[in-house]
Amino acid sequence: MTAAREPLLSCKGVSKFFGALAAVNNLSFDVYPGDVLGIGGPNGAGKTTLFEVISGLNQATSGSVIFQGRDISMLPPETVCHAGIARTFQLNASFESLSVRDNVRVAAYFGRENRAYPGLKVGPDVEEQTTAALEAVGLAGKDHLIAGELPVLDRKLLMLAGAIATKPRLLLMDEPVGGLSPREIDHMMDAVRRIAQGGVTIVLIEHVMRFLVQLSTRVLIMHHGESIYEGPPQGLAKDRTVIDVYLGEGASERLGKLMEAGQS
Amino acid sequence: MSPAKRDVLVCIGLAIVLALVPLVIGTRYIITQMTLFFIWAIVVTQWNLVLGVAGIFSLAQMALFAVGAYATAMLAYYFAIPVIVAMPAAALITVAASLVIGAACLRLRGPYVALLTLAIAQVIYLVVVNDTACFTNPPSGCLPLFGGVRGFSRFGDLGFRALLGSKFYVAHYYVGLSLAVLAVMFSIAIIRGPLGLAFKALRDNPGYAMSRGISKFKYQLWVFGLSAFFTGLAGAFYAAQFGVVGPIVFSIAMLLFLLSMIVVGGMGTIWGPLLGAALLMLADEGMREVGDWRDIGLGLVLAVFVILLPKGLAGVRLRRAKAGL
Repeated sequence: MTAAREPLLSCKGVSKFFGALAAVNNLSFDVYPGDVLGIGGPNGAGKTTLFEVISGLNQATSGSVIFQGRDISMLPPETVCHAGIARTFQLNASFESLSVRDNVRVAAYFGRENRAYPGLKVGPDVEEQTTAALEAVGLAGKDHLIAGELPVLDRKLLMLAGAIATKPRLLLMDEPVGGLSPREIDHMMDAVRRIAQGGVTIVLIEHVMRFLVQLSTRVLIMHHGESIYEGPPQGLAKDRTVIDVYLGEGASERLGKLMEAGQS
Repeated sequence: MSPAKRDVLVCIGLAIVLALVPLVIGTRYIITQMTLFFIWAIVVTQWNLVLGVAGIFSLAQMALFAVGAYATAMLAYYFAIPVIVAMPAAALITVAASLVIGAACLRLRGPYVALLTLAIAQVIYLVVVNDTACFTNPPSGCLPLFGGVRGFSRFGDLGFRALLGSKFYVAHYYVGLSLAVLAVMFSIAIIRGPLGLAFKALRDNPGYAMSRGISKFKYQLWVFGLSAFFTGLAGAFYAAQFGVVGPIVFSIAMLLFLLSMIVVGGMGTIWGPLLGAALLMLADEGMREVGDWRDIGLGLVLAVFVILLPKGLAGVRLRRAKAGL
């Protein structure tokens, strides 16, 4: 790792105001290729708003978002997607009436590039990519189920399959394991690890600390729209501010033990 | 067999059967009513693309149909263009009109789209009937630019009267059938292809669709533009078939009649709107003798379907198929 390498994503003084409320307040950070950046923080800290700003669904009030050297802060969501950023949502977003396969097919067909004129048929390359994305998250064989009728884990995996079918360089995941059981969390952790190993840079928001610290190479903790901690996950349990505003004494002790167990 | 192939085969099969009908049935009334069925079939399959597939609650389709009819009549009447040439030109004018309406609805959703499109349709209607200034003075009397309450007549036809004499209506039957087959094939290509995916994705979850690379602006204009071509052409053929175009094509009763066909048949499906068109035309025919009760009867049919079969006739078939698996 050389100090001269270029960040993949760079947020510079990003703010998002809703009236007088600063949901994100002058936030700056870089994400380097190969990173898994975990974002934590109490409810209402502005984590999801930050994702909305990066992915173009909600434009920043001020500051800029640079992706691969290009300012994407004013681009609409579809153009951000074509640029190589895919995202999953906190609430289980899907095309409810479509089949699992169609859900991913949409992403594989429309997500990679801007299509000036839509064709008459989905080509074999798109079909291949769709199959690959479904296999990568472990949804192979469920192609014909209707998305709206899937259980929670499968819906989250489907959203992930859609995201990677767009062939992103950067994947933003908003609470990928919220509401899942420990076994389901392990399944999701494996899927995310495989995606990271495939060369996709990841930024993820999560409250489940086990998931956050075990996957992340770096952690950013937000509070009131600002960063209160940025560094290795090992430092979290010892950071006074993080313990006070987010973890609390009990959780930080458990987290400390988890980290020690992981290192030994 | 892929669903698209199956649909195309069904369409070809239906076309062959319908092509044989005039050889068996000689009654002019039935043939003419079936020609009208083809016209409505075209309108509802195209309207269904906007309403059912893309989930945009536009009520502008009958106004677009009227644009196609009026454009044909006016081009033929004022410029003496042959009707056969005026028809495709009118379809393109309809596409342009639809694109403007689609753009106007971009930022609206749900019932607001219905309100705006209905308002646009009513404005066009009022412009047509409230214009009383004479634009020309043919022997039949003062004619406003858009025909006024009287509308247009004697603007020519497709030429089958001169060719076949009293049997011209059989030729119109085949023109209607051909246009309907083309329109259904067109809707199959859209619903089963990538465009259908984009429309359905935007319908189910616009925010999610956009973050998967689908531009709402672009694909809303696509659906408005594409669905208008055959609608305009159906309007144009309506003008050619009846030889008269008046403000009745804007009537709310007609709008609701066609909307009911889509609801009864099943929104968003390929065959639902066609089934609905056939069923409602038969029901309408059956109640022809009961005068004012006809509208009430149609209302009852619609109410029964909305309550008992909210997914329409096509929905029944789907549910059965699923239970069978």
